[in-house]
Order: sequence, then C-alpha cells, then structure tokens
Amino acid sequence: MAAMQRLAQSSVSTSAAATSNYGGSSSFRGVETVISDQFPAGLRVLVVDDDITCLRIVEHMLRRCLYNVTTCSQAKVALNLLRERKGCFDVILSDVYMPDMDGYKLLEHVGLEMDLPVIMMSADGRTSAVMKGIRHGACDYLIKPIREEELKNIWQHVVRKKWNENKELEHSGSLDDNDRHKRGIDDAEYASSVNDGTDVSFKSQKKRSITKEEEEENENDDPSSSKKPRVVWSVELHQQFVSAVNQLGIDKAVPKRILELMNVPGLTRENVASHLQKFRLYLKRISGVAQQGGIGNPLCGPVEPNVKIGSLGRFDIQALAASGQIPPQTFAALHAELLGRPTGNLVTAMDQPALLQASLQGPKCIPVEHGVAFGQPLVKCQSNISKHFPQSIVSVEDVPSGFGTWPSSNISAAGPSSSLGGLSSQNGNMLIDLLHQQQQQRQLQKPQLQQQSAVPEPSRLINVQPSCLVVPSQSSASFQAGNSPASVNQNGSFNKTAVIDYSLLSPQSNNSSLNIGQVTDGDLQTTGILSGYIPPASISPSVSSCSINADNCSSQQLQNSSMTFKASRQLPIVHSLPDVQGSYGAVKLGEVLDQAPFANLGYNDKGTCLPTRFAVDEFQSPMSSSSRGKIFAENIGTRVKQEPNMEFVDNSRVGIPMLQQFPPNELMSVFTE
Amino acid sequence: MERNPIRRQLANMRQSLFDQGYLDEQFIQLEELQDDANPNFVEEVVTLYYRDSGRILLNIEQALERKPFDFHKLDGYMHQFKGSSSSIGAKKVKAESTLFREYCKSGNGEGCMRTFQQLKREYATLRKKLEAYFQLARQAGPMETACRPK
Repeated sequence: MAAMQRLAQSSVSTSAAATSNYGGSSSFRGVETVISDQFPAGLRVLVVDDDITCLRIVEHMLRRCLYNVTTCSQAKVALNLLRERKGCFDVILSDVYMPDMDGYKLLEHVGLEMDLPVIMMSADGRTSAVMKGIRHGACDYLIKPIREEELKNIWQHVVRKKWNENKELEHSGSLDDNDRHKRGIDDAEYASSVNDGTDVSFKSQKKRSITKEEEEENENDDPSSSKKPRVVWSVELHQQFVSAVNQLGIDKAVPKRILELMNVPGLTRENVASHLQKFRLYLKRISGVAQQGGIGNPLCGPVEPNVKIGSLGRFDIQALAASGQIPPQTFAALHAELLGRPTGNLVTAMDQPALLQASLQGPKCIPVEHGVAFGQPLVKCQSNISKHFPQSIVSVEDVPSGFGTWPSSNISAAGPSSSLGGLSSQNGNMLIDLLHQQQQQRQLQKPQLQQQSAVPEPSRLINVQPSCLVVPSQSSASFQAGNSPASVNQNGSFNKTAVIDYSLLSPQSNNSSLNIGQVTDGDLQTTGILSGYIPPASISPSVSSCSINADNCSSQQLQNSSMTFKASRQLPIVHSLPDVQGSYGAVKLGEVLDQAPFANLGYNDKGTCLPTRFAVDEFQSPMSSSSRGKIFAENIGTRVKQEPNMEFVDNSRVGIPMLQQFPPNELMSVFTE
Repeated sequence: MERNPIRRQLANMRQSLFDQGYLDEQFIQLEELQDDANPNFVEEVVTLYYRDSGRILLNIEQALERKPFDFHKLDGYMHQFKGSSSSIGAKKVKAESTLFREYCKSGNGEGCMRTFQQLKREYATLRKKLEAYFQLARQAGPMETACRPK
C-alpha cells in the first residue's frame, strides 16, 4: 500500500497544484468567493477506494469532468489527508467496503469533522445498503460500476450543501452581502458552466439560487460588510435555539415561535427553519446512531432524571433537549437539576463526579466517544468529563442542534472529553465563569443564547460547524477560556476543547446565568442529544462574549482570542467553534481587524483549516492561525451585530484560551461515541 | 467501417467479445475515457485489474484451503473481486462472482469450490482474449473511438 500512498500523495500534490489553479473559486469562501468561471471545473474531489482498478477508473472519469482529483486507497490515509488539508476538498467519494475502515465510519468521521458532502460507492446496490448510506449521512450512493455521467453531477451536492448553510447563516445574520455575492457567484457559475450537460441544470439552479438570494436579501435587514458570512450558529445562539425548542417542545417547535423566543436581532425565520431542520435530522441521526450502539450510552436515550446532571445537567440537558432525544421528563429532570444550580458554576459539576458520571452515563454525551471513530479515548474523557462534564456536555449538545448528520456520539464525546481533558478545573471554572458572566450579561437580552454558547459544538464539527459559523460552541469555550489569555496558543488543545469550552462557558454561572440553566428552565425536554449534538448556534453567544472579552482585554487578549479561535479551529470537530470565536473576537475588536485576515480563510497553515466548504462563506473555512482570528472577526462582525450584548466583554473573561487547554483528543473523544 | 484491415480485424474482435458476453457496457465506459491524452487507458486499467484482482483470487484460494470455510470472509473477498471485475466490464467473470457469493450466503462449500474453478477459467480466458486484443490494437496504431455495439 505504500505505492498507493505515494500515489495518493502524488495525486494529492497534483490536485493541490491543480487546486491552486482553480484559484479561490472552488473554496467558495465567504462572500468574496472567487467562483471560477468554469464551475464546476476544479471541484476538488477526494476518492477513497481500496480497489485500485475502480479507483483509477473513477479518477479518470472525474478528470474528464475537469475536477481536481485526489485518490486514496486507504480510508485512514484519506482521513488524515482530510484533517491535514481542511478546506482543500469539496466532496468525497468513498467506497463502502474497505478493509482498513468501514466506509460508513469514514463517512461519519468526515461528517463530524469536516462536514463535507460524502458520496458512497459500492457494488452492493441493495436497498438496505443504500438506506444505510443515507442514514449515515451520505449525500448520494452510487452503484458500481460507475458511469461517467453519474460523476458529472456530483458538484450539486457541494453546492446544495453550501447553499443550505448559507441560507442558515443568512437567516441568522445579516447576509445581504452574502446574498449579493452569492448571486454574483451563482451568476458566474452558471454563466460559464463547463459541462454542457449541466447547463440546463445550471440555469434552473440559477433561478432557484437567485430566488433564494432575493428572498434572503429581503429578509436580511442587517447590512453587513461585503464579506458577511453566513449566519453562524454560535454556541450561544444555538443554545438559545435549543432552549427555545425545549420550551416549545420539539414537536411543537415551529420556526416562528422559536424565533420569537430566541429574540435574536437579525435572525430570520428562515435561518431558524433551516437550523431546525438540521437539528431534527441530527436528533434522528443521534437516535439512530445510538441505537446502533455507536454511542456508549446514547444521550439520545432517555436521560435518567436522576442523573444528577446538576450543573452539568444544564448543558447536557440542553443539548439533549435540543436533540429532542431526551424524553421530556428526563429532560425536565435534568433541567431541574441544572437549574438547581443556577449560578453554580458548572464547574460544580466537577464537584460531583458521581453526578457527572451519572449524567455521563445518562446522556452519555461523552462516553459516546467510545463508539465513535474518533478514537479519542472516551475513558479518559470520562474522568475528565466528570469534572467538566457539565460544560462539555453543554457544548456538545449545543453544537449538534439541528444538524441532522451530526453524530451525536461524536460530538458529545468530543465535547466533554476535550474539555475535561484540557480544562483543568480551574479553567473550567473560568470558562464557566466567563460563560456565566456572559450569560448574565446577556441574560437580559438573550438568555437563551447563553445556553447555546455554553455548549460548544465540538461535536458539531460535522454539521454545524463547517457550514456555518456555528462554531459557537467553540467560541464560547474560547471565550471562556478567555480568562486566560494565554490560552490562545492552544491549538492542539483547543481542537478538542473547543467543544468543551463551550460547555465550560455554559456552566459558568457566576456572572451569566449558565446558559444552559437559563435557557431551559424546563425546556430541556430534549436533552437526548447531549451526546453529540452541540448546537452550533450556541456558540455565537459565546462568540460575542469572546469578542467582548477581547475588547476588554488588552490587545493581548485579543490576540489570545484570536489564537483561541485558532485553537478551536484546530479541533477537528469543532471547526466552527474556532471560527466563531475568532470571529467574535475579531469582530469585536472590531471591526478593527481588517478584513484581510479573512482572506486567509481557507488556508490552514497549521492544517487546522476548517473545512472549507465549497463556496461556503467561509467563515469557517480553514484559516491559518493568523487568519483565524480575523476570520472570526468577519464572522463575528456579522454576528456581533446581532448580539448587542457586548457588555459581556467586561465580564466574560476571555475564555477562549481556556478552550485550548483541552486536549483535542479528549474533547473529541468525549463527543465522539 | 474500418478500411484498414487490421482495424477491421480489431473491430471484429472487439465486437465478438461483446457478442459472446465476455464484456459488457462498462468496457465501453473505459474506452470512452481513452483519448489522446490517455491513449492506452483501457489497456492500463485492464492490466491494473489483473494485477490487483490476482491478489484477491489468491486470498480466496488460500481461504478455500482452510476448512471449515469462512464464508463471511470469502464473501468479503468476492465482493471486492466482483467490484473490480464489474469496473472493467468483465461480464462472465462478474456472473461467476455473483454465483460464488450466492453459495457463500447459503453456506454451500461445494458450490463455492466449483464456482471458483469456473471463475478462474473465465478470468484466464478473458485475460488471453484481451491481451490479444490489445496487441492487435497496438499494431493498428491510435484508433478513433471504436464502434460501440448499440
């Protein structure tokens, strides 16, 4: 297989070179996406198949479609490649049956970590096999032998995903610019579609996209910079969303009511609607995954009321609630627990290792890791989690909200674990405090946001984060970490911690009521998701906090936040988180930050790129560490507008750094099941 | 119609491979991928196939020597082999693979052994035919797209 690896490497380099030719177009970063005139030419495809004959053939076919192809005959190598070069691929084609790793596992990983569209291939065309692929989140399922015509249109999955994400972002934020850009991009795309065969589809899509843009534009009343990213469902925002959903009841949660409850300026009903849809899918997925045993103790499953989530519970509950998996009573119980410690720092959860354990057992956000391919030692997380469980759980939950494909297990696992690992109790406290502060600050305005921020989305990584700024969970975490500006550097830890960070943030009750706690007093009916779903939205609140903190802090803090963001970015899972944080921080700093850094979006100097969504507004696209902060800035900028509570800055410590303290693996493991 | 006698012969040979069921539509897909930039694509892929699938067949062979049969494993191998074979359009080989898998699923060891022997024969036959085909193709020089059996 060394040969294959070399081949893969060479093909990677080839495609990399080709990619550069493609320019920034394929990355579809942010508003300034430089859409190639030859779209979808240059689409960056990664093909994974242990059958080299088939690999060669598919590669050739893709090349004929003028795509940039990278081949890989081993799933593990492919995964590493994806992790190293986040944002360097737009779509993945993977075989189902592979000796070193199950194709479905790869699919889950990709969904969790990079949120890229994955298309499955197999000689097995049975309905059950196809159904399995869909259940695991595959965008499409091709039956071998594959024909060229089938490969020609795979770009649609990339575009669709991006648009959906944009839609969400736009709805939740000011997306005028995005719309405009998108329109421009779409026009360019359509105008110069390379494939004759796709012209027709292009046109129809164009119409749709334009219509969509128009709609979005009408709804956007928040003029933003030209680079306005999509609505970023930060942890905080997501938490708000989750709590709103909990309040209404997952069955009765309609976008309009949710929007009202959330009371987030700039957020549109459409944003909420699409987010809700994702959330529901996520919940379904979690339950499905849980049933498959992927999750240790699927949080999705009923959360024992007696799980003393306590402080932890808040977060977990939220997440779970959000996921809708947790039976109402359980959720309520959890919630009650959480509420029981209103301002208690979530950290207190640490005081109750037993509790945590219990909660862990229950929601199992963290334990889930085991199952998850993340490979993060869940066990490790567990112990950590107990301390930080509340926090991590929260984050986990928040993140996944709404993102159907978010493997709950992963997320939850990742979240908690990471936080646990990285965060020392102190940090956790800090974060929590920070979170609390933020929460409190925001309470007036967005109590729910708090909750969301608390829950880092680490788990989300997959769905939530990549597409949108949702990163929130991470950002919140980072914010919390903000307490220790130094945390900025934690690239490594951040990754994982991102997830936790949020959770930490949430628990903080000192200043801000725990996000979670506040959010759902009783809304936590659906905490089931804890395990893996961390509503991305939740991050946003934290993000704002972060940014605020950044402001408050000296520039150093700012740096830290940026760095934190960076760190969070590194979290494979929490892609969005870092972004969020960064953006917030940056934004806060304002608008001071020049947008230039955002240009870096899409790069991962350190390989921490957030998956650059094909044409996604890239806020989250992998950013070089330096750009990270900036990117966030952009994102935050957009988002900041929505969150008037900047006062958090004062109180919230720059918790971002804290996030980074979490060993990525732990975080990840916590969330991954 | 090809004026060049070699080309005509080549076309006939190709057509008979389809007519006799050795190759199917997928082979045409390969041919379509062949162009000036990749003038020997089909041959390259087929060569790759024989090299890679030979390995799988060896695995199956070895697995069939261990009694009792691990049908699950055998089925797994055959799934891979079938995928490869279908990628190049090896129709008969693919049919034997399917049959082998059926026997695996029903736990019929005898059936597996028999089918495997048949499969190896088809596999070898196709190889010979394709080798002859490619040799002739090289003689004929760069070809335009062959006529496809409609």
